[in-house]
Amino acid sequence: MYYLITLLVYGAVDAIACLGLSQQFGVAGVTNFGFIIFQAVGAYVAAVLALPPDTANGGFQIYVGGLNLPFPVPWIGAAVAGALLALPFTFLVGRRLRGDFAAVGLLVTAVLLNLLATNYRQLFNGDAGVSLVPAPLAAQRSMFVTTSNAYQYEFAAGAILLAAVVYLFVRRITESPYGRTLRAMRDNDKVADSLGKNLLSLRTGAMVVGGAIAGLSGGILVSFIGVWSPAAWSYAETIVLFTAVIIGGAGNHRGAVLGAILVPVGFEEITRFITNNNPSLPPNLLPSLQWVAIGLLIVVFLWARPQGVLPERKRVIPPPPTLAQRMLHRVPGQDVSRVRQRTKPPAPGSAAAASEAGSPVRSRRSRYPRPTGDGPEILQAIGVSKDFGGVHAVSGVSISVRRGTLTGLIGPNGAGKSTLLSLLAGTEKVSAGKIIYQGRDITALPAYRRARTGLVRTFQLASEFKRLTVLENLLTADPANRGDSFLGAAAGRRYWLADEARAVDRARALIDSFGLTANANDYAGDLSGGQRRLVEIMRALMSEPDMLLLDEPMAGVHPELARKIGDALRGLCQDGMTILMVEHELAIMDEFCEPVIVMADGGVLAEGTMTELRDRTEVVEAYLVG
Amino acid sequence: MRGKDMSLFVASVGFGLITSAVLAIAALGFTLQFAVTDVLNLAFAAVMTLAGFVAYWVNNAGLSVWLGLVVSMAVGSLVSVLLNYFVYSPFQRRGSAPITLVIVSLGMALIIEFGVAAIVGGVNVSYAMSQGSTLRLGGMTLTTVQLTIIAISLVVMAGVHALLRYTKLGKAMRATAANRTLARNCGIRASRVIAVTWALTGALCGLAGTVFAIDIGSFDPFSTDLFLILILAAVFLGGPGNAYGAMLGALVIGLATEISAGLPFIQADYKYVVAFVALLAMLAVRPTGLLGART
Repeated sequence: MYYLITLLVYGAVDAIACLGLSQQFGVAGVTNFGFIIFQAVGAYVAAVLALPPDTANGGFQIYVGGLNLPFPVPWIGAAVAGALLALPFTFLVGRRLRGDFAAVGLLVTAVLLNLLATNYRQLFNGDAGVSLVPAPLAAQRSMFVTTSNAYQYEFAAGAILLAAVVYLFVRRITESPYGRTLRAMRDNDKVADSLGKNLLSLRTGAMVVGGAIAGLSGGILVSFIGVWSPAAWSYAETIVLFTAVIIGGAGNHRGAVLGAILVPVGFEEITRFITNNNPSLPPNLLPSLQWVAIGLLIVVFLWARPQGVLPERKRVIPPPPTLAQRMLHRVPGQDVSRVRQRTKPPAPGSAAAASEAGSPVRSRRSRYPRPTGDGPEILQAIGVSKDFGGVHAVSGVSISVRRGTLTGLIGPNGAGKSTLLSLLAGTEKVSAGKIIYQGRDITALPAYRRARTGLVRTFQLASEFKRLTVLENLLTADPANRGDSFLGAAAGRRYWLADEARAVDRARALIDSFGLTANANDYAGDLSGGQRRLVEIMRALMSEPDMLLLDEPMAGVHPELARKIGDALRGLCQDGMTILMVEHELAIMDEFCEPVIVMADGGVLAEGTMTELRDRTEVVEAYLVG
Repeated sequence: MRGKDMSLFVASVGFGLITSAVLAIAALGFTLQFAVTDVLNLAFAAVMTLAGFVAYWVNNAGLSVWLGLVVSMAVGSLVSVLLNYFVYSPFQRRGSAPITLVIVSLGMALIIEFGVAAIVGGVNVSYAMSQGSTLRLGGMTLTTVQLTIIAISLVVMAGVHALLRYTKLGKAMRATAANRTLARNCGIRASRVIAVTWALTGALCGLAGTVFAIDIGSFDPFSTDLFLILILAAVFLGGPGNAYGAMLGALVIGLATEISAGLPFIQADYKYVVAFVALLAMLAVRPTGLLGART
């Protein structure tokens, strides 16, 4: 009987830990190889909050704290400790560091903290660890009661209940606009940055939430087993949890629970039934082979089924019902119809209808009033340079882009066009020079904050969020969604549903106008090259930009479609948007762009209309020679 | 500093030099492997363990441990080539993210390390060998074996320098490290260069495994776990992928850990903390390392 209860509690604890890891690794893409230290600190903190001062019991163990606090304070303390421990590590998972380097840093931290806890006895009794941790509510019940079956069942039920609460919580976060932003960051962090997402804050959030959940799992575990020592949290335990999440299905929280049942529980328990009675075999054969099996599981699963047993679910947003369907669904009660009714289009003739129906693309100039006194230039670069280890990719470039123009940027390969675009958007920092946007010096602003002021770029290489649908790709760029923050997500669906519905309508209108309606619910990674370019342009437009920086938006696009895109862009400029566009195809420049800036060897060679430029020999030479 | 402390200090400098020597071989192998193949191979220390035990089996068969050392280099080389051929390379060809390869390498580390443990059990072993005569050098006491280890390390460092600087293969390796696609377009057979790199760095890994085992005297399948931390610290201190940085990093980390262990106010158990702080500080402040390019 007792064995069954133990299994249930272990299963619940492992499920909670795996849910935290699934949220952190599977959803947000933060690879935390030190995950186990968050569980460990939760367990230690819960232990010393619940234990009496260490002078009790004859002082056979030493530890800090010993506050003798009643349940549930230790468990709350465990979660808080896990969350707080995450903060010092945010510098590792911040913007600048490669994900695998950060992972190595966290792995090393886990090994070293374990070593420290083993050797430094004053903190948590060193190698032997803390023991005799009181069970929850033990003071109210006698020793005999806490070891009774009834009490144990209650404990198991409580742990499972908490696992369910954690499951609902991470699901609420993941299925919100904020969760979608996390998944976008996981798929391509640089692009998320360019759309106005603050990577540092998103990753900090992922570390803190994962840390709190891991801490809670440690608190529950220590209350049940009563002891906690460094041997319980070697770095290898992190690998077990990773194996569970990978096998279950990273990014699918049900998969995380399944993985928890299959790997840590199954892994620990199956060996109870296999005993090594053969004296001719080496002594540690079975435990060693267990770990070999874990290693094999990781490698084989990542090869044969990287998406796990339960892959991440595709978030299909149903198309808006036709009028006839809406009539049928008048009766409330069905989820879809309820959502649709809330979001049905505003009455014709209203101001909102005019702005929504007229063009799906809005500029946010209303929210960023044009500063008085600035000239017709919306964006200026003054003496901007960029060096890459001695190579002057861009040197002393000064350009200005006038409001409402579709300005072209041409030049031979290696002229520095894409680098200049990166400097203007803030993807790269300038080595020297100044960038003025809307009359304001933005040289020091990071990319995501430039995007938030309406200066948005696209990339030359494919940059769609692969494991998000086309619709979701667009929705990530929605600049004002109440659900696109941790607190907004935690507040629940009702809090952000109206914003979401508005964004969905706007995204659908964009998708319809670019002719991708049939692909709205396809994964962006599955589209053709030309379609992906479209997704990127639509996503940039979705962010309600004042000015777009487009890096070869028509590369690899069918000429007919390229013309359509050009027409659309020109239309946007007539409505007041400004576009600076890098393009190789001179025919496109001829037809759509005025003025055109020519770059060569990192500098500006000439500027003017295409007709003027064709008459200038140095421009023609640069193009032909370069 | 009082006389006793002083002699302790000098002695720990001696220990530090030997640790640095062993570390330099391993860090060079690791960093070249990463630079050319783009795999942050966390199974490196596990292969070292395997190689150390191969040398032990050779030694156990009644042969000299120095012969075992040569065999362990061959085994390290072979295992690394096979790792690449059957595991890492297929993942890379499929376009897996770097972080996926790191997770895969952790899985391989478990398979190799616990595979060795399954065979040998959890017992400590040591080579049957003579430590040679003891030499006193300005307060440091070094055995002939320890001096040999330092000499081997110096030869390895000079060899790597000559390889990278003066040979066609070294140039091809540097080109592949800088830009694989470009190297391929310039007529370098990148996949062959990568395979040769695995063989070379694998040999260094095997060599490091055996000299490490010689140095610490008594070892078990898990002895290299903490040594991996030192390797990573040395590699990241010098800048991942930078061979000269790895040499410098090994010297700094080797000396810093042993000297801190010898200081009167630091307990010997905490010597790894120095490496840990160095690693995290570099990651936070300058991920490209001391000798790396500025970002």
